[in-house]
Amino acid sequence: MFNQGGLSLDQAPPISVVLRFFVTASIFGILLGLFLLLQSLNLTTLSSYATQLITVHTLSLGVMASFMLGALFQMLPVLAGVVIKTPTTKAMIVHILLSVGVLVQLYAFGIGSNSLLFFLASTYLGSALFYAIYLMLKELIKIKTHSSSSKGILFALLALISTTLFGIYLLLAEGGFIVGVEFSHIKELHYSFALFGWVSLLIVSISFQVIEMFYVTPAYPKKMSRYITVTVLGLLVLKSILVLLNYSSTLLTATIALLFLIYATVTIDRLTQRKRPIADATVWFWLFGMALFILSMTITLISSFLPIDSTLQHLSYITFIGFALSIVFAMVYKIVPFLTWFHLSNQGYMEAPMMHDVIHPKKAKIHFYIHIVTIAIWLLTTDITWLGSLLLAISFSWLFYNLFFAIKKYTYTQKHCERIEW
Amino acid sequence: MKKYFLDARELAHPEPLRISLEYLKEMRDEDYFYMINIREPIPLLELAKGKGYRLFTHKDNNQNWHIIISKNQQQNLEELLDV
Repeated sequence: MFNQGGLSLDQAPPISVVLRFFVTASIFGILLGLFLLLQSLNLTTLSSYATQLITVHTLSLGVMASFMLGALFQMLPVLAGVVIKTPTTKAMIVHILLSVGVLVQLYAFGIGSNSLLFFLASTYLGSALFYAIYLMLKELIKIKTHSSSSKGILFALLALISTTLFGIYLLLAEGGFIVGVEFSHIKELHYSFALFGWVSLLIVSISFQVIEMFYVTPAYPKKMSRYITVTVLGLLVLKSILVLLNYSSTLLTATIALLFLIYATVTIDRLTQRKRPIADATVWFWLFGMALFILSMTITLISSFLPIDSTLQHLSYITFIGFALSIVFAMVYKIVPFLTWFHLSNQGYMEAPMMHDVIHPKKAKIHFYIHIVTIAIWLLTTDITWLGSLLLAISFSWLFYNLFFAIKKYTYTQKHCERIEW
Repeated sequence: MKKYFLDARELAHPEPLRISLEYLKEMRDEDYFYMINIREPIPLLELAKGKGYRLFTHKDNNQNWHIIISKNQQQNLEELLDV
Protein backbone atom coordinates (compact mmCIF):
# COMPACT_ATOMS: atom_id res chain seq x y z
CA MET A 1 0.00 0.00 0.00
CA PHE A 2 2.98 2.28 0.01
CA ASN A 3 5.23 3.69 -2.56
CA GLN A 4 8.87 3.00 -3.13
CA GLY A 5 10.90 1.47 -5.91
CA GLY A 6 9.66 -1.89 -7.07
CA LEU A 7 6.35 -1.81 -5.30
CA SER A 8 3.27 -3.24 -6.88
CA LEU A 9 -0.25 -3.24 -5.54
CA ASP A 10 -1.38 -5.75 -8.12
CA GLN A 11 0.98 -8.20 -6.49
CA ALA A 12 -0.51 -7.51 -3.08
CA PRO A 13 -1.99 -10.63 -1.46
CA PRO A 14 -5.75 -11.12 -1.08
CA ILE A 15 -7.34 -9.24 1.80
CA SER A 16 -8.02 -12.51 3.68
CA VAL A 17 -4.27 -13.01 4.18
CA VAL A 18 -4.06 -9.92 6.38
CA LEU A 19 -7.45 -10.06 8.04
CA ARG A 20 -7.09 -13.62 9.35
CA PHE A 21 -4.05 -12.47 11.38
CA PHE A 22 -5.67 -9.22 12.56
CA VAL A 23 -8.89 -10.92 13.68
CA THR A 24 -6.93 -13.62 15.53
CA ALA A 25 -4.79 -10.96 17.24
CA SER A 26 -7.93 -9.17 18.42
CA ILE A 27 -9.38 -12.41 19.79
CA PHE A 28 -6.16 -13.12 21.69
CA GLY A 29 -6.35 -9.58 23.07
CA ILE A 30 -9.92 -10.11 24.28
CA LEU A 31 -8.97 -13.45 25.84
CA LEU A 32 -6.02 -11.80 27.60
CA GLY A 33 -8.28 -9.12 29.07
CA LEU A 34 -10.73 -11.78 30.30
CA PHE A 35 -7.90 -13.90 31.70
CA LEU A 36 -6.52 -10.94 33.65
CA LEU A 37 -10.02 -10.08 34.83
CA LEU A 38 -10.33 -13.58 36.33
CA GLN A 39 -6.89 -13.15 37.90
CA SER A 40 -7.80 -9.78 39.41
CA LEU A 41 -10.93 -11.32 40.96
CA ASN A 42 -8.87 -14.25 42.33
CA LEU A 43 -10.90 -16.72 40.32
CA THR A 44 -7.88 -18.77 39.19
CA THR A 45 -5.25 -20.65 41.16
CA LEU A 46 -2.30 -19.84 38.93
CA SER A 47 1.03 -18.75 40.41
CA SER A 48 2.24 -15.23 39.69
CA TYR A 49 5.07 -16.74 37.57
CA ALA A 50 2.57 -18.62 35.38
CA THR A 51 0.35 -15.51 35.15
CA GLN A 52 3.33 -13.42 34.08
CA LEU A 53 4.38 -15.93 31.41
CA ILE A 54 0.84 -16.31 30.08
CA THR A 55 0.33 -12.53 29.94
CA VAL A 56 3.65 -11.77 28.26
CA HIS A 57 3.30 -14.50 25.64
CA THR A 58 -0.35 -13.84 24.84
CA LEU A 59 0.67 -10.25 24.19
CA SER A 60 3.92 -10.91 22.35
CA LEU A 61 2.86 -13.92 20.27
CA GLY A 62 -0.93 -14.05 20.22
CA VAL A 63 -1.39 -10.32 19.73
CA MET A 64 1.81 -8.68 18.50
CA ALA A 65 3.26 -11.48 16.34
CA SER A 66 -0.14 -12.03 14.72
CA PHE A 67 -0.50 -8.35 13.89
CA MET A 68 3.08 -7.98 12.74
CA LEU A 69 3.25 -11.10 10.58
CA GLY A 70 -0.12 -10.27 9.01
CA ALA A 71 1.03 -6.75 8.25
CA LEU A 72 4.32 -8.06 6.81
CA PHE A 73 2.55 -10.48 4.46
CA GLN A 74 0.65 -7.48 3.15
CA MET A 75 3.38 -4.88 3.19
CA LEU A 76 6.45 -6.76 1.94
CA PRO A 77 5.35 -6.71 -1.69
CA VAL A 78 4.63 -3.01 -1.50
CA LEU A 79 7.26 -1.81 0.97
CA ALA A 80 10.15 -3.86 -0.32
CA GLY A 81 8.90 -4.85 -3.78
CA VAL A 82 9.20 -8.57 -3.02
CA VAL A 83 6.51 -11.09 -3.83
CA ILE A 84 5.62 -14.13 -1.76
CA LYS A 85 4.04 -16.56 -4.20
CA THR A 86 0.74 -18.29 -3.28
CA PRO A 87 0.44 -16.11 -0.18
CA THR A 88 -3.01 -17.39 0.81
CA THR A 89 -1.87 -20.95 1.48
CA LYS A 90 1.41 -19.91 3.06
CA ALA A 91 -0.22 -17.35 5.34
CA MET A 92 -2.80 -19.96 6.34
CA ILE A 93 -0.05 -22.43 7.32
CA VAL A 94 1.77 -19.78 9.41
CA HIS A 95 -1.49 -18.60 10.94
CA ILE A 96 -2.67 -22.08 12.00
CA LEU A 97 0.73 -23.16 13.36
CA LEU A 98 1.13 -19.89 15.26
CA SER A 99 -2.37 -19.89 16.74
CA VAL A 100 -2.19 -23.54 17.82
CA GLY A 101 1.36 -22.99 19.11
CA VAL A 102 0.31 -20.03 21.25
CA LEU A 103 -2.64 -21.93 22.73
CA VAL A 104 -0.49 -24.99 23.51
CA GLN A 105 2.22 -22.78 25.01
CA LEU A 106 -0.24 -20.92 27.23
CA TYR A 107 -1.71 -24.22 28.38
CA ALA A 108 1.80 -25.49 29.12
CA PHE A 109 2.56 -22.37 31.18
CA GLY A 110 -0.73 -22.84 33.05
CA ILE A 111 -0.14 -26.50 33.87
CA GLY A 112 3.59 -26.08 34.36
CA SER A 113 4.75 -29.69 34.54
CA ASN A 114 3.72 -31.35 31.28
CA SER A 115 6.84 -32.01 29.21
CA LEU A 116 4.90 -33.01 26.11
CA LEU A 117 3.08 -29.66 26.01
CA PHE A 118 6.35 -27.72 26.16
CA PHE A 119 7.73 -29.87 23.36
CA LEU A 120 4.61 -29.37 21.23
CA ALA A 121 4.62 -25.63 21.90
CA SER A 122 8.24 -25.29 20.79
CA THR A 123 7.52 -27.41 17.68
CA TYR A 124 4.41 -25.48 16.61
CA LEU A 125 5.81 -22.02 17.39
CA GLY A 126 9.24 -22.82 15.96
CA SER A 127 7.64 -24.12 12.74
CA ALA A 128 5.33 -21.11 12.42
CA LEU A 129 7.97 -18.48 13.03
CA PHE A 130 10.82 -20.10 11.10
CA TYR A 131 8.54 -20.79 8.14
CA ALA A 132 7.36 -17.15 8.11
CA ILE A 133 10.94 -15.89 8.47
CA TYR A 134 12.10 -18.20 5.66
CA LEU A 135 9.33 -17.02 3.32
CA MET A 136 10.18 -13.38 3.89
CA LEU A 137 13.96 -13.50 4.25
CA LYS A 138 14.55 -15.53 1.10
CA GLU A 139 12.88 -12.76 -0.89
CA LEU A 140 14.42 -9.87 1.06
CA ILE A 141 18.00 -11.04 0.58
CA LYS A 142 17.49 -10.96 -3.20
CA ILE A 143 16.96 -7.18 -3.18
CA LYS A 144 19.85 -5.43 -4.88
CA THR A 145 19.20 -1.87 -3.72
CA HIS A 146 17.67 -1.77 -0.28
CA SER A 147 15.60 1.08 1.11
CA SER A 148 16.00 1.90 4.80
CA SER A 149 12.69 0.13 5.39
CA SER A 150 13.45 -3.10 3.54
CA LYS A 151 16.89 -3.33 5.17
CA GLY A 152 15.39 -2.68 8.60
CA ILE A 153 12.73 -5.36 8.10
CA LEU A 154 15.49 -7.80 7.18
CA PHE A 155 17.31 -7.00 10.44
CA ALA A 156 14.08 -7.28 12.43
CA LEU A 157 13.55 -10.76 10.97
CA LEU A 158 17.13 -11.72 11.89
CA ALA A 159 16.34 -10.58 15.43
CA LEU A 160 13.21 -12.76 15.32
CA ILE A 161 15.40 -15.78 14.46
CA SER A 162 17.41 -15.21 17.64
CA THR A 163 14.26 -14.58 19.67
CA THR A 164 12.75 -17.85 18.43
CA LEU A 165 15.92 -19.90 18.99
CA PHE A 166 16.27 -18.58 22.55
CA GLY A 167 12.55 -19.14 23.12
CA ILE A 168 12.79 -22.77 22.01
CA TYR A 169 15.76 -23.27 24.36
CA LEU A 170 13.69 -21.87 27.25
CA LEU A 171 10.66 -24.03 26.42
CA LEU A 172 12.76 -27.18 26.18
CA ALA A 173 14.44 -26.30 29.48
CA GLU A 174 11.01 -25.70 31.11
CA GLY A 175 9.90 -29.09 29.76
CA GLY A 176 12.95 -30.84 31.19
CA PHE A 177 14.38 -31.85 27.81
CA ILE A 178 17.63 -29.97 28.38
CA VAL A 179 19.38 -28.94 31.58
CA GLY A 180 19.24 -25.25 30.77
CA VAL A 181 22.39 -24.14 32.57
CA GLU A 182 22.26 -20.81 30.70
CA PHE A 183 18.55 -20.32 31.45
CA SER A 184 18.75 -16.83 33.01
CA HIS A 185 21.21 -15.56 30.39
CA ILE A 186 19.15 -16.91 27.52
CA LYS A 187 16.00 -15.48 29.08
CA GLU A 188 17.58 -12.02 29.16
CA LEU A 189 18.66 -12.35 25.52
CA HIS A 190 15.25 -13.73 24.50
CA TYR A 191 13.57 -10.61 25.87
CA SER A 192 16.22 -8.23 24.47
CA PHE A 193 15.97 -9.60 20.94
CA ALA A 194 12.17 -9.75 21.12
CA LEU A 195 11.63 -6.21 22.41
CA PHE A 196 14.57 -4.21 21.05
CA GLY A 197 15.18 -6.35 17.97
CA TRP A 198 11.96 -7.76 16.59
CA VAL A 199 9.25 -5.36 17.83
CA SER A 200 11.17 -2.08 17.96
CA LEU A 201 13.26 -2.57 14.83
CA LEU A 202 10.22 -3.53 12.78
CA ILE A 203 8.28 -0.47 13.93
CA VAL A 204 11.29 1.79 13.31
CA SER A 205 11.86 0.34 9.82
CA ILE A 206 8.26 0.70 8.74
CA SER A 207 7.99 4.21 10.15
CA PHE A 208 10.79 5.43 7.86
CA GLN A 209 8.40 4.99 4.98
CA VAL A 210 4.91 5.39 6.38
CA ILE A 211 5.34 8.53 8.49
CA GLU A 212 6.42 10.63 5.53
CA MET A 213 3.90 9.07 3.23
CA PHE A 214 0.77 8.83 5.37
CA TYR A 215 1.16 12.16 7.08
CA VAL A 216 3.14 14.27 4.55
CA THR A 217 6.02 15.08 6.88
CA PRO A 218 9.66 15.90 6.18
CA ALA A 219 11.78 12.76 5.75
CA TYR A 220 13.80 11.31 8.64
CA PRO A 221 17.46 12.40 8.78
CA LYS A 222 19.37 10.20 6.30
CA LYS A 223 21.97 9.13 8.86
CA MET A 224 19.24 7.91 11.18
CA SER A 225 17.27 5.95 8.60
CA ARG A 226 20.46 4.41 7.20
CA TYR A 227 22.27 3.39 10.37
CA ILE A 228 19.97 2.99 13.37
CA THR A 229 18.62 -0.49 12.53
CA VAL A 230 21.99 -2.04 11.71
CA THR A 231 23.54 -0.42 14.79
CA VAL A 232 20.85 -1.77 17.13
CA LEU A 233 21.16 -5.27 15.66
CA GLY A 234 24.96 -5.09 15.97
CA LEU A 235 24.66 -4.00 19.61
CA LEU A 236 22.28 -6.89 20.32
CA VAL A 237 24.73 -9.39 18.83
CA LEU A 238 27.52 -7.87 20.91
CA LYS A 239 25.30 -8.00 23.97
CA SER A 240 24.69 -11.72 23.40
CA ILE A 241 28.40 -12.42 23.37
CA LEU A 242 28.99 -10.41 26.57
CA VAL A 243 26.02 -11.95 28.39
CA LEU A 244 27.02 -15.50 27.47
CA LEU A 245 30.60 -14.79 28.59
CA ASN A 246 29.25 -13.41 31.87
CA TYR A 247 30.38 -9.84 31.23
CA SER A 248 28.28 -6.77 31.92
CA SER A 249 26.26 -5.54 28.94
CA THR A 250 24.79 -2.50 30.70
CA LEU A 251 26.47 0.03 28.46
CA LEU A 252 25.16 -1.66 25.32
CA THR A 253 21.59 -1.71 26.65
CA ALA A 254 21.93 1.97 27.56
CA THR A 255 23.18 2.78 24.05
CA ILE A 256 20.22 0.97 22.46
CA ALA A 257 17.81 2.84 24.75
CA LEU A 258 19.49 6.14 23.85
CA LEU A 259 19.23 5.44 20.11
CA PHE A 260 15.52 4.65 20.44
CA LEU A 261 15.04 7.79 22.55
CA ILE A 262 16.51 9.91 19.77
CA TYR A 263 14.43 8.08 17.16
CA ALA A 264 11.16 8.58 19.06
CA THR A 265 11.92 12.27 19.58
CA VAL A 266 12.62 12.74 15.87
CA THR A 267 9.37 10.90 15.00
CA ILE A 268 7.35 13.22 17.23
CA ASP A 269 9.15 16.19 15.69
CA ARG A 270 8.30 14.95 12.17
CA LEU A 271 4.66 14.37 13.07
CA THR A 272 4.34 17.91 14.41
CA GLN A 273 5.57 19.18 11.03
CA ARG A 274 2.71 17.64 9.03
CA LYS A 275 1.75 19.78 6.07
CA ARG A 276 -1.94 19.07 6.62
CA PRO A 277 -2.39 18.70 10.36
CA ILE A 278 -5.95 17.33 10.47
CA ALA A 279 -7.37 15.52 13.49
CA ASP A 280 -6.65 11.86 12.78
CA ALA A 281 -6.73 9.09 15.38
CA THR A 282 -3.89 7.24 13.67
CA VAL A 283 -1.58 10.25 14.22
CA TRP A 284 -2.69 10.38 17.84
CA PHE A 285 -1.83 6.67 18.18
CA TRP A 286 1.63 7.35 16.72
CA LEU A 287 2.24 10.36 18.97
CA PHE A 288 1.00 8.56 22.06
CA GLY A 289 3.05 5.49 21.16
CA MET A 290 6.21 7.51 20.70
CA ALA A 291 5.67 9.37 23.99
CA LEU A 292 5.36 5.99 25.75
CA PHE A 293 8.46 4.72 23.92
CA ILE A 294 10.39 7.73 25.22
CA LEU A 295 9.24 6.99 28.77
CA SER A 296 10.08 3.32 28.49
CA MET A 297 13.54 3.95 27.05
CA THR A 298 14.25 6.68 29.63
CA ILE A 299 13.56 4.20 32.44
CA THR A 300 15.72 1.59 30.66
CA LEU A 301 18.49 4.16 30.39
CA ILE A 302 18.22 5.13 34.07
CA SER A 303 18.09 1.50 35.17
CA SER A 304 21.36 0.88 33.32
CA PHE A 305 23.21 3.10 35.78
CA LEU A 306 21.02 3.33 38.88
CA PRO A 307 19.01 0.75 40.79
CA ILE A 308 15.28 1.23 40.17
CA ASP A 309 12.38 0.00 42.29
CA SER A 310 9.64 -2.38 41.16
CA THR A 311 7.20 0.50 40.49
CA LEU A 312 9.54 2.05 37.95
CA GLN A 313 10.19 -1.37 36.46
CA HIS A 314 6.43 -1.87 36.13
CA LEU A 315 6.14 1.53 34.40
CA SER A 316 8.88 0.53 31.98
CA TYR A 317 6.98 -2.63 30.95
CA ILE A 318 3.58 -0.95 30.63
CA THR A 319 4.95 1.98 28.63
CA PHE A 320 6.66 -0.43 26.22
CA ILE A 321 3.51 -2.51 25.79
CA GLY A 322 1.52 0.70 25.33
CA PHE A 323 3.98 1.89 22.70
CA ALA A 324 3.83 -1.32 20.69
CA LEU A 325 0.03 -1.57 20.84
CA SER A 326 -0.41 2.10 19.90
CA ILE A 327 1.62 1.68 16.73
CA VAL A 328 -0.13 -1.56 15.83
CA PHE A 329 -3.53 0.10 16.24
CA ALA A 330 -2.39 3.09 14.14
CA MET A 331 -1.34 0.74 11.35
CA VAL A 332 -4.50 -1.40 11.50
CA TYR A 333 -6.72 1.67 11.15
CA LYS A 334 -4.75 2.72 8.08
CA ILE A 335 -4.32 -0.71 6.48
CA VAL A 336 -7.82 -2.21 6.80
CA PRO A 337 -9.92 0.65 5.35
CA PHE A 338 -7.39 1.13 2.56
CA LEU A 339 -7.23 -2.54 1.61
CA THR A 340 -11.00 -2.98 1.71
CA TRP A 341 -11.55 0.02 -0.53
CA PHE A 342 -8.63 -0.81 -2.80
CA HIS A 343 -9.47 -4.46 -3.44
CA LEU A 344 -13.15 -3.69 -4.09
CA SER A 345 -12.33 -0.70 -6.25
CA ASN A 346 -9.78 -2.66 -8.25
CA GLN A 347 -12.30 -5.47 -8.72
CA GLY A 348 -14.56 -2.93 -10.43
CA TYR A 349 -17.24 -2.37 -7.80
CA MET A 350 -18.44 1.14 -8.57
CA GLU A 351 -20.21 1.37 -5.21
CA ALA A 352 -17.18 0.20 -3.25
CA PRO A 353 -17.32 1.79 0.19
CA MET A 354 -14.94 4.69 0.69
CA MET A 355 -12.26 4.29 3.36
CA HIS A 356 -14.21 6.25 5.96
CA ASP A 357 -17.23 3.99 5.33
CA VAL A 358 -15.19 0.87 6.05
CA ILE A 359 -14.03 2.04 9.49
CA HIS A 360 -15.29 5.51 10.24
CA PRO A 361 -12.57 7.83 11.67
CA LYS A 362 -14.83 8.38 14.69
CA LYS A 363 -14.60 4.68 15.51
CA ALA A 364 -10.80 4.90 15.48
CA LYS A 365 -11.01 7.95 17.76
CA ILE A 366 -13.22 6.05 20.20
CA HIS A 367 -10.63 3.29 20.24
CA PHE A 368 -7.91 5.84 20.93
CA TYR A 369 -9.82 7.15 23.99
CA ILE A 370 -10.37 3.60 25.28
CA HIS A 371 -6.68 2.87 24.69
CA ILE A 372 -5.32 5.88 26.60
CA VAL A 373 -7.63 5.22 29.56
CA THR A 374 -6.55 1.55 29.53
CA ILE A 375 -2.85 2.45 29.52
CA ALA A 376 -3.39 5.15 32.16
CA ILE A 377 -5.10 2.66 34.51
CA TRP A 378 -2.30 0.13 34.00
CA LEU A 379 0.30 2.82 34.66
CA LEU A 380 -1.40 4.04 37.82
CA THR A 381 -1.77 0.62 39.39
CA THR A 382 1.12 -1.73 40.02
CA ASP A 383 -1.10 -4.79 40.39
CA ILE A 384 -3.59 -6.44 38.03
CA THR A 385 -6.90 -4.64 38.52
CA TRP A 386 -10.36 -5.64 37.34
CA LEU A 387 -10.79 -2.20 35.74
CA GLY A 388 -7.54 -2.34 33.74
CA SER A 389 -8.30 -5.91 32.64
CA LEU A 390 -11.85 -5.06 31.65
CA LEU A 391 -10.66 -2.04 29.67
CA LEU A 392 -8.11 -4.20 27.88
CA ALA A 393 -10.87 -6.63 26.88
CA ILE A 394 -13.07 -3.71 25.76
CA SER A 395 -10.22 -2.19 23.74
CA PHE A 396 -9.66 -5.39 21.75
CA SER A 397 -13.41 -6.06 21.48
CA TRP A 398 -13.83 -2.64 19.88
CA LEU A 399 -11.07 -3.43 17.41
CA PHE A 400 -12.63 -6.82 16.71
CA TYR A 401 -16.00 -5.17 16.07
CA ASN A 402 -14.40 -2.69 13.65
CA LEU A 403 -12.63 -5.47 11.77
CA PHE A 404 -15.82 -7.54 11.68
CA PHE A 405 -17.70 -4.52 10.29
CA ALA A 406 -15.06 -4.04 7.58
CA ILE A 407 -15.27 -7.71 6.57
CA LYS A 408 -19.07 -7.45 6.46
CA LYS A 409 -18.85 -4.38 4.19
CA TYR A 410 -16.41 -6.20 1.94
CA THR A 411 -18.51 -9.34 1.53
CA TYR A 412 -21.75 -7.34 1.21
CA THR A 413 -20.29 -5.29 -1.66
CA GLN A 414 -19.05 -8.41 -3.42
CA LYS A 415 -22.44 -10.09 -3.11
CA HIS A 416 -24.82 -7.23 -3.81
CA CYS A 417 -23.10 -4.51 -5.84
CA GLU A 418 -22.67 -4.20 -9.55
CA ARG A 419 -19.27 -4.84 -11.02
CA ILE A 420 -17.84 -3.19 -14.12
CA GLU A 421 -14.82 -3.87 -16.28
CA TRP A 422 -12.50 -0.89 -16.55
CA MET B 1 -9.30 15.60 -25.47
CA LYS B 2 -9.80 16.49 -21.83
CA LYS B 3 -6.95 16.84 -19.34
CA TYR B 4 -7.58 15.43 -15.85
CA PHE B 5 -5.04 17.14 -13.60
CA LEU B 6 -3.94 16.26 -10.08
CA ASP B 7 -1.26 17.98 -8.02
CA ALA B 8 -0.58 15.31 -5.39
CA ARG B 9 2.52 16.86 -3.84
CA GLU B 10 0.86 17.68 -0.55
CA LEU B 11 -1.66 14.86 -0.42
CA ALA B 12 -1.27 12.07 2.12
CA HIS B 13 -1.39 8.44 1.04
CA PRO B 14 -3.74 7.01 -0.22
CA GLU B 15 -5.52 10.14 -1.48
CA PRO B 16 -3.46 10.45 -4.69
CA LEU B 17 -4.22 6.83 -5.58
CA ARG B 18 -7.91 7.21 -4.75
CA ILE B 19 -8.38 10.34 -6.83
CA SER B 20 -6.30 8.95 -9.70
CA LEU B 21 -8.43 5.79 -9.87
CA GLU B 22 -11.57 7.90 -9.94
CA TYR B 23 -10.20 9.93 -12.84
CA LEU B 24 -9.03 6.87 -14.75
CA LYS B 25 -12.47 5.29 -14.47
CA GLU B 26 -14.15 8.51 -15.59
CA MET B 27 -11.85 9.29 -18.54
CA ARG B 28 -12.86 8.60 -22.14
CA ASP B 29 -10.37 6.92 -24.48
CA GLU B 30 -9.18 10.23 -25.95
CA ASP B 31 -8.68 11.94 -22.57
CA TYR B 32 -5.53 11.90 -20.50
CA PHE B 33 -4.54 12.12 -16.86
CA TYR B 34 -1.70 14.37 -15.68
CA MET B 35 -0.33 14.09 -12.17
CA ILE B 36 2.51 15.85 -10.34
CA ASN B 37 3.87 14.06 -7.28
CA ILE B 38 6.97 14.10 -5.09
CA ARG B 39 7.49 10.37 -5.64
CA GLU B 40 6.96 7.94 -8.46
CA PRO B 41 3.46 6.48 -7.86
CA ILE B 42 4.41 2.90 -8.67
CA PRO B 43 1.15 1.32 -7.44
CA LEU B 44 -0.83 3.55 -9.76
CA LEU B 45 1.54 2.89 -12.67
CA GLU B 46 1.38 -0.89 -12.15
CA LEU B 47 -2.35 -0.76 -11.92
CA ALA B 48 -2.78 1.41 -15.01
CA LYS B 49 -0.39 -0.80 -16.96
CA GLY B 50 -2.40 -3.84 -15.95
CA LYS B 51 -5.59 -2.19 -17.19
CA GLY B 52 -4.08 -1.46 -20.61
CA TYR B 53 -3.32 2.26 -20.22
CA ARG B 54 -0.28 3.92 -21.76
CA LEU B 55 2.12 5.70 -19.41
CA PHE B 56 4.77 8.36 -19.49
CA THR B 57 6.82 9.45 -16.47
CA HIS B 58 9.35 12.23 -16.08
CA LYS B 59 11.33 13.52 -13.09
CA ASP B 60 12.02 17.26 -13.34
CA ASN B 61 14.90 19.28 -11.90
CA ASN B 62 12.92 20.01 -8.72
CA GLN B 63 12.64 16.27 -8.07
CA ASN B 64 8.92 16.28 -8.90
CA TRP B 65 7.44 13.41 -10.90
CA HIS B 66 5.18 14.17 -13.87
CA ILE B 67 2.89 11.26 -14.71
CA ILE B 68 0.81 11.10 -17.89
CA ILE B 69 -1.67 8.28 -18.42
CA SER B 70 -3.99 7.72 -21.35
CA LYS B 71 -5.83 4.99 -23.23
CA ASN B 72 -5.26 6.75 -26.51
CA GLN B 73 -2.82 4.59 -28.49
CA GLN B 74 -2.12 7.32 -31.09
CA GLN B 75 -1.23 10.19 -28.74
CA ASN B 76 2.43 10.96 -28.12
CA LEU B 77 2.34 11.33 -24.32
CA GLU B 78 5.74 13.04 -24.14
CA GLU B 79 4.32 15.94 -26.12
CA LEU B 80 1.86 16.58 -23.29
CA LEU B 81 4.63 17.08 -20.76
CA ASP B 82 4.42 20.48 -19.11
CA VAL B 83 7.70 21.42 -17.39
